Amino acid sequence: MESTAPAPAITLRPLSAPAAIPAAPGSAVAPAGETLIDIDHVDFFYGAVQALHDISLHIEHKKVTAFIGPSGCGKSTLLRCFNRMNDLIDGTRVASGTIKIRGIDIHRPDVDVIELRKRVGMVFQKSNPFPKSIYENITYGLKLQGVNNAARLDEVVEKSLRGAALWNEVKDRLHTSGLGLSGGQQQRLCIARAIAVEPEIILMDEPCSALDPVATAKVEELIQSLRERYTIVIVTHNMQQAARCSDSTAFFYMGKLIEYAPTRDIFMNPASPQTEAYVSGRFG
Amino acid sequence: MASPAPADSAHFIAHKGKFRLFGLTLDTCIKVFFGGNAVVSIIVLALITIFLFREGAGFFGQNRQNLKVYREAGLEYVDFIRAQQDDHTALTRYLSDLRLRQFQHFTQHQHLTPAAANAALAGFDEFAGQYGDAVEPLRTLVSDLTEQATAIKERFTVMEDRKTERAQLLAAGKAQAAAEVGITPVDFVAELKPILGTLPAYREASADLAKRLAGIVAAAPAMPTPELQARLDRFRQLTAEYLAGFPAVARNLETWDYRRPVPATQEFSAFLFGREWVTASFWQDWYGVIPLVAGSLMVSLVALVLAVPLGVGAAIYVNQIASPWEQRLIKPCIEFISAVPSVVLGFFGIAVLGQTLRALSQQTWLAWVPGFPYSERLNILTAGCLLALLAVPTIFTLAEDALNNVPRSFKEASFALGATRLQTVMRIIVPASLSGIISAVLLGFGRVIGETMVVLLCAGNRIAIPDFTAGLAVITQPVHTMTGIIAQEMGEVVQGSIHYRALFVVGILLFFLSLAINYAAQHIVRRYRISIG
Repeated sequence: MESTAPAPAITLRPLSAPAAIPAAPGSAVAPAGETLIDIDHVDFFYGAVQALHDISLHIEHKKVTAFIGPSGCGKSTLLRCFNRMNDLIDGTRVASGTIKIRGIDIHRPDVDVIELRKRVGMVFQKSNPFPKSIYENITYGLKLQGVNNAARLDEVVEKSLRGAALWNEVKDRLHTSGLGLSGGQQQRLCIARAIAVEPEIILMDEPCSALDPVATAKVEELIQSLRERYTIVIVTHNMQQAARCSDSTAFFYMGKLIEYAPTRDIFMNPASPQTEAYVSGRFG
Repeated sequence: MASPAPADSAHFIAHKGKFRLFGLTLDTCIKVFFGGNAVVSIIVLALITIFLFREGAGFFGQNRQNLKVYREAGLEYVDFIRAQQDDHTALTRYLSDLRLRQFQHFTQHQHLTPAAANAALAGFDEFAGQYGDAVEPLRTLVSDLTEQATAIKERFTVMEDRKTERAQLLAAGKAQAAAEVGITPVDFVAELKPILGTLPAYREASADLAKRLAGIVAAAPAMPTPELQARLDRFRQLTAEYLAGFPAVARNLETWDYRRPVPATQEFSAFLFGREWVTASFWQDWYGVIPLVAGSLMVSLVALVLAVPLGVGAAIYVNQIASPWEQRLIKPCIEFISAVPSVVLGFFGIAVLGQTLRALSQQTWLAWVPGFPYSERLNILTAGCLLALLAVPTIFTLAEDALNNVPRSFKEASFALGATRLQTVMRIIVPASLSGIISAVLLGFGRVIGETMVVLLCAGNRIAIPDFTAGLAVITQPVHTMTGIIAQEMGEVVQGSIHYRALFVVGILLFFLSLAINYAAQHIVRRYRISIG
């Protein structure tokens, strides 16, 4: 759903807001930088249940942004708004507010969802390679776009797998099933699959929650190398992970954005007492 | 409230479990009751299987006897000549077809009146008449031989009946009466002599036929169009081939020996690969299952060709595309189809579908459809359409289950990569559930091949192998099926006769077929579960 009548406050708002100011719930602002995703006073409903309350934040280009917060706080819901994956769930709607990517409201009726999802890739909580070969998993997105040139596909497969730090482990068995890989490898395969279609933004929904520490370390390392080319938004329960990987961190609680600031500030010098309580492990 | 004294509770515990029925505790009784139910169903299944096999087992021995008598009574010998006569009949049918085409040509293209067309065909009629009459000496010979061979067989049957009677009397302890039953043994050598003695007569008749046919064909009248002329040339060629086969027949007759044993495998191969199912015949009964198997498979094939797209398509729609209220509407509707009694469907097939399809087939704008127009209202197509209706709920329900088992995460991953709904369904959901869908189709096949009432009522019940040379038009021919023949003939056979046992063997074959289909379906589903992880 797109809001038909944006509030005056939204239209008047400058694209880049001043840096980390301790924010009241619902009106947090982004750190300085080029804004890629602009979330403006978004209310989101599952049927009659409101999951997001008046969320506003700016996500910067080619940065890693982490969403943290206790379970059910709405961080995954917000993430899934960016590529409109929530459309797949019946009865969901963005009741008011706008989400703009490069200045374009993604809920506008003339927005092509298919095109949007090509540009906004996603990695899920549970690794979900297709029951196909590794090669076919990577080429799936390209074939959807009608790319059938074998040489080009080979090239993309190698590039994506190298990009996902998986090439050396699987180069000899590209045509075996993707389900035969270990959990961590499967998750990196899913990342490779996402970057094969060259998105601008990669959304990661708790990508390491099902992985052991070694596999987690590899994925985090991979995130570090991806930040040069992609804008990454990562939802995580693991605060160390947010601290290690991200440039900015947003803390959500009960469907509200409590605080959004550079990661260092969130962990070292949180403005809100709730954030402080959460990051220091006193609740959540 | 006062708490019960320790002595009271001890008393209570001691009493628990004292209830006994026939020395069993209540728990054991319940266990025996439920266990008993399970055991009863297994025992019944085992009894049915044993009964099937017991009744069917005797068939092969009897079939061997049947084939032996066929040879020893000289029926086989006569059939060599009869085949020669039948081939000639087939050629005369070709001629009648050719006459019909000429007649159509004259009336439709040259606009002659029917009388004038018949007059124009007078020359051809004379030619065809001569051709048909040429076989007369051979036909006389065959009918003489048929009488003789039937007589031998009859004597043999009487002897067998007497033997059975005596055995029954002996078993009943009436030795006196048994001794009085006179058995005249059949002396096949003596009986066959007159039959074998006709060989010179056959040679003469055959040579005469060959000479006359060659002469008649050479003097065939010219055809009015090149197309018909080509057909006549083809006829000449067929006749030449027919004549070229004569020496082989003569050789068969010369080398034929009634003493040659019937090989032990023939009683099985005559059943499994026999191309004829002829029962209660004055001449010779054949129990070849091929026409029935072919009929069952053809009807099932047509049914599946229709039911698979419908069932799987509906499953994909309901599972992947439909809105919740559509799901609530469509699912019960499709599942309701299986509640329609199949006899009602069969009735509908005769009264409505058969009529409608035939009327449709006779529309000129549908003449391009293979097999159209046709005149047999009940045929493979009619039965196949109805069976498809019966298979749809099975296929739909199982395919929908299979689609449901595809993890939601596959779908999400596909959408997240920018796939449309159709791409997701065709490239991810269907391949991932393919083994489940295949097993759904197999179980639908099992449902269809075991169905009786619909095919009995609607398949046309003509016991013949469908003529596959007709191409796709084969589906407009009537057939008989394995299930149909059992239902139709079981009521009127003599218990214990070879015919009765043959029907049981057909039942066993059907049983194994269903078993194999079910096993294959389960096997595929098991593999599929593993592959999803």
